[in-house]
Amino acid sequence: MKDPQAMPVLEVRGLRATVGDGVEILKGVDLLVKAGEVHAIMGPNGSGKSTLSKVLAGHPDYTVTAGEVIFRDRELLAMPAEERARAGLFLGFQYPVEIPGVANSQFMRLAYNSVQTARGGEELDPLEFDDLVRERMKYLEMDPAFLERSVNEGFSGGEKKRNEILQMALLDPTVALLDETDSGLDIDALRIVAGGINRLRREDNAVVLVTHYQRLLNYVIPDYVHVFDDGHIVRTGDKFLALELEERGYDWITAPAAANSAQAQAR
Amino acid sequence: MSSTLQDLIDQPYQHGFVTDIESDVVARGLNEDVIRLISAKKNEPDWLLEFRLSAYRHWLTMTAPEWATVDYPPIDFQSIAYYSAPKAKKKLASMDEVDPELLRTFEKLGVPIHEQKALAGVAVDVIFDSVSVTTTYKKRLAEAGVIFCSFSEAVQEHPELIRRYLGTVVASNDNYYAALNSAVFTDGSFCFIPRGVKCPMELSTYFRINTQESGQFERTLIVAEEGAQVSYLEGCTAPQFDTNQLHAAVVELVALERADIKYSTVQNWYAGDANGVGGIYNFVTKRGLCKGDHSRISWTQVETGSAITWKYPSCVLEGDHSVGEFYSVALTNHHQQADTGTKMVHLGRNTRSTIISKGISAGVSSNSYRGLVQIGPKASGARNYSQCDSMLIGDRCAANTFPYLRVMNDSSTVEHEATTSKIGADQLFYFASRGIDNESAVSMIINGFVKDVFTQLPMEFAVEASKLLGLKLEGSVG
Amino acid sequence: MSMPPPVAQDDAQDDTRDEARNEARDANTSAPPAAYRTSVLDSQRALAGSPAAWVNQLRREALEQAHVLSLPTRQDEDWRFTDLSALYRLAFKAASAPAAVVAQAIDPYRIAEAPQRLVFIDGVYAPELSEGPSGEGLTVCSLAQVIAEPSHRLHETVRAHLGTLAPASGGAFAAINTAYLHHGAVLHVARNQAQLTPSHLLFITTREGLASYPRVLVIAEGGSQCHVVEDHVSLHQGAACVNAVTEVHIETNAQVRHARIQRDSRSSFHIARCAVSVARDARYESVSIDLGARLSRLDLSVRQEAPGVHIALDGLALVGNGQLADTHSFIDHAAANGASRQLHKTILSGASHAVFNGRILVRPGAQHTDSAQQSRNLLTSGRARVDAKPQLEIHADDVKCAHGATVGQIDQGELFYLLSRGIAPEAARNLLTYGFAADIINRLGVASLAQRLRQQVLEQTDRAGSPS
Repeated sequence: MKDPQAMPVLEVRGLRATVGDGVEILKGVDLLVKAGEVHAIMGPNGSGKSTLSKVLAGHPDYTVTAGEVIFRDRELLAMPAEERARAGLFLGFQYPVEIPGVANSQFMRLAYNSVQTARGGEELDPLEFDDLVRERMKYLEMDPAFLERSVNEGFSGGEKKRNEILQMALLDPTVALLDETDSGLDIDALRIVAGGINRLRREDNAVVLVTHYQRLLNYVIPDYVHVFDDGHIVRTGDKFLALELEERGYDWITAPAAANSAQAQAR
Repeated sequence: MSSTLQDLIDQPYQHGFVTDIESDVVARGLNEDVIRLISAKKNEPDWLLEFRLSAYRHWLTMTAPEWATVDYPPIDFQSIAYYSAPKAKKKLASMDEVDPELLRTFEKLGVPIHEQKALAGVAVDVIFDSVSVTTTYKKRLAEAGVIFCSFSEAVQEHPELIRRYLGTVVASNDNYYAALNSAVFTDGSFCFIPRGVKCPMELSTYFRINTQESGQFERTLIVAEEGAQVSYLEGCTAPQFDTNQLHAAVVELVALERADIKYSTVQNWYAGDANGVGGIYNFVTKRGLCKGDHSRISWTQVETGSAITWKYPSCVLEGDHSVGEFYSVALTNHHQQADTGTKMVHLGRNTRSTIISKGISAGVSSNSYRGLVQIGPKASGARNYSQCDSMLIGDRCAANTFPYLRVMNDSSTVEHEATTSKIGADQLFYFASRGIDNESAVSMIINGFVKDVFTQLPMEFAVEASKLLGLKLEGSVG
Repeated sequence: MSMPPPVAQDDAQDDTRDEARNEARDANTSAPPAAYRTSVLDSQRALAGSPAAWVNQLRREALEQAHVLSLPTRQDEDWRFTDLSALYRLAFKAASAPAAVVAQAIDPYRIAEAPQRLVFIDGVYAPELSEGPSGEGLTVCSLAQVIAEPSHRLHETVRAHLGTLAPASGGAFAAINTAYLHHGAVLHVARNQAQLTPSHLLFITTREGLASYPRVLVIAEGGSQCHVVEDHVSLHQGAACVNAVTEVHIETNAQVRHARIQRDSRSSFHIARCAVSVARDARYESVSIDLGARLSRLDLSVRQEAPGVHIALDGLALVGNGQLADTHSFIDHAAANGASRQLHKTILSGASHAVFNGRILVRPGAQHTDSAQQSRNLLTSGRARVDAKPQLEIHADDVKCAHGATVGQIDQGELFYLLSRGIAPEAARNLLTYGFAADIINRLGVASLAQRLRQQVLEQTDRAGSPS
């Protein structure tokens, strides 16, 4: 997968961001993602790795104070959240939001058509969309009954995560940021979700997995593993780094001494 | 996010114009002479004057109710004009004779009193400052045996029916505002659907308050005889004044055996401005009596207007196997206050009732659901299901739920559920991250929230109601 | 009638029918509360002055309130469904001296798991029946003793807390209780001390005609834990009147479990107020069980003072012929990130009446409140009546609140399942009713007490189930 000629699709440079009350969460993040790659961002709880994905997707709770993000040759940070989605950035939520009263199918069709229109594609009417979504649901072993239920309302943890991957499959992003998509899943559900992610991988798109656990990486093999701590990437390696982290925990890396050399390797 | 949402729901009132029509207004104030004058102007029989006077005398002994979660200064009942009628030339024989100014008013309102609307099958009665100005399609209805006319006309032409049913569902001393209405009501609509007749078209009444000092006290009476069916719609608007106006209507429905009455309201009285100045006090008593076995009364309301709304459309389920339904959407914004809900009083065996209430609060408004479900000792096998959902937009509004369940029978089942949700930054971000802009997101959430109620509205009204909510939601995304 | 009751007020229509006859009968029998007030306060003058001036002051102020505050009638929204006129027709006086009760008489009420027990006979502390040393950091002692000893370690603490959560101004019954302030229980657990075994506060009435005024003050200091069992029982079948006030202060990060068992005689009146204040990150769990009394009323109010609080209120009222059980609960989310769970169940047989009024208030700024309330009512008789009134009042937008209420009979599906296994209909009904109640009793966390109460429920449901 590592192809030196591949096009960069997401480039984060010196990104700093604060949350509502001015507390700095991201303290200078550098990350380069090229087409066809899978990146894993790992790190202890509270390290800021989930914040990175929210900031990239444009969550209103965070304020970017420095740095720039180039997404497919465009200034990502200048775009409102819906524009980012239409441009091909997808965030799989750690805690998918419940929308009572809005049917899942209705929500997904509106999303699909909004994104399609922006990309110059064809909108689908409810019948056509139904065919499309049912076909995608099969791969995720989802019951079509989910289409008529309110968005995420009353879904189990695993159902919510599958629903996220289903949306990813429909919106066909260039870069998918999957925030803790594996947490709270049993092995069966993990296998299904991972299968869904793998099916969507292509030469011209990329996946960034934000995760606390190594086990997802047994199914979706990363090209790069980044260790996140205290608001930035402190070390970068390959899939074996993840195995090492699983065995030894984070302390040996996140200790201040280890942090120094990390920046260079991150590039 | 609040400013964005607030922009979306802040829409100027569309019906705030005043029509320049000469009105016949009785001097302000209330006493027995005023009541006698109203009665005389309307050429009423003695028994009706007596009905009014006894209601008035009872009203004098009553105090305004204070239990609702609404707050307003005491009303000076002597500063209200109790009679205001467009100064019309005698009686109108056809639409052509209607004051063109008035017709323009209804055009502005989008009221379907035109021919093409009639072809769509809607018969309309229009109440202008409490006086009925036109009733369309009387002839076609008459052929079916349906009486649909202004209340005043019914008093003249069908006094025996009015006398038999008036005050039988809402007694003249029922409550403070019902008693006031019984004393001073000036007009309203009367519908009578005889035995076995399915009303050939939707019946519709538009109410409008036009004069600044007037109160509107209309009276509606609908009687469906054995096996009869009718669907009735009412719409309400008023011009913008910076004083508060009182609207205290009474609606009575009577359903005999196997009769079916569907009553739908889209209420968009002027709500006052963004600072809570002006607007209608909407204090209404609506009640239906399912008198016969297997009868059904269904209330559907979309309440978006009025400074204060205080109304509880109710069903008294007296006949065995009778059915009562209440479907409501109440939207409050700015300083609006709504205390609304229903009462389902189960008296007969195997009676059933359903309550679906959806409250949307924004701004600094207060929106309360208050409902009573009462199962009497003889109501064996009675069932009720209630669902009351509230949606909050912004953090300065209030949503309250006060259901009262009183059960005196052990073979009945009563279920009540209530939830509160919100449109918040998290929801909007979730939509945005899927490429959906805020405006579409809010509209989709609101429409999803109210759909259980809107599906109950007749097609004509569903479109209108959607448009109305849309108007309140449309706007620039900040 | 000055103040029409809400909603039903424009209900001439309803009231013309069966209901109307009941209401009319109620109206005819309503006794003027004034005479009751005079008689109930009569014995207050006989009360010896307290050694502590501040107690005398509290009493004096309470007495004034007791004269000023109106005794509730059905005209009051909070008492719409509960008619006190039968109480107002009777005269009760406070016991001046404790009746002699032999130790064996309380045997059936001993709780094996509870090392500490305070016993009160007709409202008067009975040291000879009480036992158990105060544990590590835990003090369980007589209120009268703390008041009498100005040098008592807890004297100032008690003075600072007593009457603050349930002030005399809060209602006529609390005022009357406070006017008689003397005996009571103090339970104090010191900072960061965990006392997980229950402390048993046993209030016994021994004969009819007496009024007693139990008073409980619980103070859980920061980071502490305790478990209190407040237990009201009767050794007679006559009509007594219990007017109880409990105040529970839960400081930062502390946890209190509170069981409240009411099994007074079936002729008695039991009126109780329990007020709880819950500080930051603290937790209050309560289980209230009402089995006795002709008329019982519990006003339980819990206030979340600061963020991060967890409140769990569970209740069970089992009423038979001639009984009325009324629970009014109030959960006040006055700060953010609070969670509350409430499950209240009632089981009615014969001509009985249960009232549940559950109010949940989410104040402005109490964001991220997560509140769920359920009221479940089981009617097993055609003469029983339930008034359930859950209320949600929400003034913050980012909250998750739900409530539900059901009134019904035994689930037909469950019943059929048991019948299909060969169980007789009668037994099947009793078993399901028992299960409905046991669900709450099992939350008590005191195994021997739960076992005994389950037994009592079984007997009561059997009795109710058998043809009479």
